[in-house]
Amino acid sequence: MRQTRVLLADDHTLIRAGLRLVVDQEPEFTVVGEAADGRQAVALAQQLKPDIVVMDVGMPGLNGIEACRQIRENLPDTQVVMLSMHSDEGYVLRALKAGARAYLLKDSAEADLARAIRAASEGKSFFSPAVGKVLLEDYMRKLERTGAEDSYELLSPREREILQLVAEGKSSKEIAHLLNLSVHTVETHRARVMQKLNLRGIPELTLYAVRKGIIS
Amino acid sequence: MSPEKSNLPAADDEWPSPRLRWVLLGAFLGLLALIFVSGAAATRTLREMHQQEQDARRALAERAQMLSSLSISIEVYNEDIGRYVGYPPEKSDPQVRQQLDRLTENIESQLNSYPGRRQREESDFLEAIQELYRRHLQLYRSALAASVAPQARSQILTMRTELLDWSGRLNAWNGRQLHSSDEALLSEFSRLQANLTGSLSIALGAGLLLVIASMAYILRLERQTRNRYRELAQSRHELERLSSRLVDAQEEERRSISRELHDEVGQSLGALLVDLGRLSTNLPADSAEIRERIDRMKSLAERTVGTVRDIALLLRPSMLDDLGLVAALEWQGREVSRRSQMEVAVESANVSGDLPDEYKICVYRLVQEALNNAVRHARARNAKVRVAGGANGIEIEVSDDGQGFDPQRSRGLGILGMEERVKRLGGSLAVRSAPGQGTVLKAELPLPVIAGTPA
Repeated sequence: MRQTRVLLADDHTLIRAGLRLVVDQEPEFTVVGEAADGRQAVALAQQLKPDIVVMDVGMPGLNGIEACRQIRENLPDTQVVMLSMHSDEGYVLRALKAGARAYLLKDSAEADLARAIRAASEGKSFFSPAVGKVLLEDYMRKLERTGAEDSYELLSPREREILQLVAEGKSSKEIAHLLNLSVHTVETHRARVMQKLNLRGIPELTLYAVRKGIIS
Repeated sequence: MSPEKSNLPAADDEWPSPRLRWVLLGAFLGLLALIFVSGAAATRTLREMHQQEQDARRALAERAQMLSSLSISIEVYNEDIGRYVGYPPEKSDPQVRQQLDRLTENIESQLNSYPGRRQREESDFLEAIQELYRRHLQLYRSALAASVAPQARSQILTMRTELLDWSGRLNAWNGRQLHSSDEALLSEFSRLQANLTGSLSIALGAGLLLVIASMAYILRLERQTRNRYRELAQSRHELERLSSRLVDAQEEERRSISRELHDEVGQSLGALLVDLGRLSTNLPADSAEIRERIDRMKSLAERTVGTVRDIALLLRPSMLDDLGLVAALEWQGREVSRRSQMEVAVESANVSGDLPDEYKICVYRLVQEALNNAVRHARARNAKVRVAGGANGIEIEVSDDGQGFDPQRSRGLGILGMEERVKRLGGSLAVRSAPGQGTVLKAELPLPVIAGTPA
């Protein structure tokens, strides 16, 4: 079985050591390198071409989000699992926009890291449960206080289905195959969902899905 | 010797004593009095001189009139007596005799009515005339009583000439008197002139001295005022520098404590958590008690991580460094929304991604303070943060629908602190509010001129 090659990037040695232990526990994962800052992470990724980069958001020099963007630009096959202390939407959305597949809170990194790496290596999204909770709470509170209508109610069952699949990271072709529809129909549904929810781009759609608890 | 020690007391010594002021005032009053007194004296002297001159003229006119009528009387009398004496008594006209008697009375009354106030010389003249006249009268009376001897006749004629001569002398004396009184007046006048000139030059000299002294005094005051002003401006400038350094120092301190917390405490706790987690998963299935303990330790460590993170974020929001100003403001808005009853909306447009750190922190703290005020003091339900970048700088507006306040009356330390931060970067801050009308806080920050030099 081909092993999933993992690059760890965190500016703290203790954290890197802890992460390494967790990754090494899984037989199908292997740590191929460690980087202590964003620049080094980009350079090492370029050199080692790992399957997964586990990246801390806050690093000196080049921060994790910027490093993620550069890695994803140069190496489309390398997926990034973002590690952060913050469950705030600002971080999550920016990480998604930079091309990260998974977003983990450091508090629960130990428990969820293996699952996150596995999901990302399969091209799926993964979020720490706490992140989804915070985003959902923010969203609900805003709806409640501003009295706005929940746009989710506007979607048809088929549209909800497609929303979930898109948010999980599936392509239109895969969705068409899964639901036994034409690619064109899937694309049309997808466009209508975006329009109804007033979203721009896949990251916002993913965030929305996390917020609504559709995926985690 | 330190400059601080030598400067301050010297400045106080230099301050003019109030005595000098009183001396100057006294001198001014004295000068005024001097001018007044000499003016009054001159006026009085002039009036006296005028009076004197008039008196002299009147006296002279009186005497001259007297003398001329006396001369005329004597002349007529002499004429008549000559005619009368020249004829024998039987041929003499009784009318002429009557006229002679009348003339005699006239002359006597005229002599008696000569002004009583006389000088000695004048009296001598008059006495001589009276004496002569008396003799003349005697002679004439005897001549009337008997036939006149030829020698008596010539005697009368001689006396007549003499009488006229004396009266002429008296007249001449009177003229001289007028001249001498004129001379006296003239000398009086020149004395007055001298007096006036003297007192005027004294007044002028004293005035000049006084002006010089006053100018010196004013110049000194001016110099001292200028020095004071300079000192004041300098100390204000220093105060501003100090307060800006304080703000800098505070931010620096916060940043280093936050980093310390995050890097040391946070990371150690994080590593601890990972280890604890690994420990509990690797535990044999039957050691439930140890697993439970490890789980308790884990949750304690998690709570501590959360607390440390909150403190670190409060001190220095890492979003500013990780994600930039806009993301940090959005995060702050959500944080406030989460923790309070106020919903915050954040809007931003054209905000540059690479603002200098002091600008980011200034805007961030400004918004933080404004939102804090809106929650705590205004009890607002909604707040809106708007940040827009323009060609000249950044505009920040924070508005809420809270209770509002009167910005003229109450200006809390919070607003002062914001003003301080904004002013430091050359910006301006305006607060518009009224009780019951919410609050709008507007700030403008001019952008630093970045010409290839990193700020």
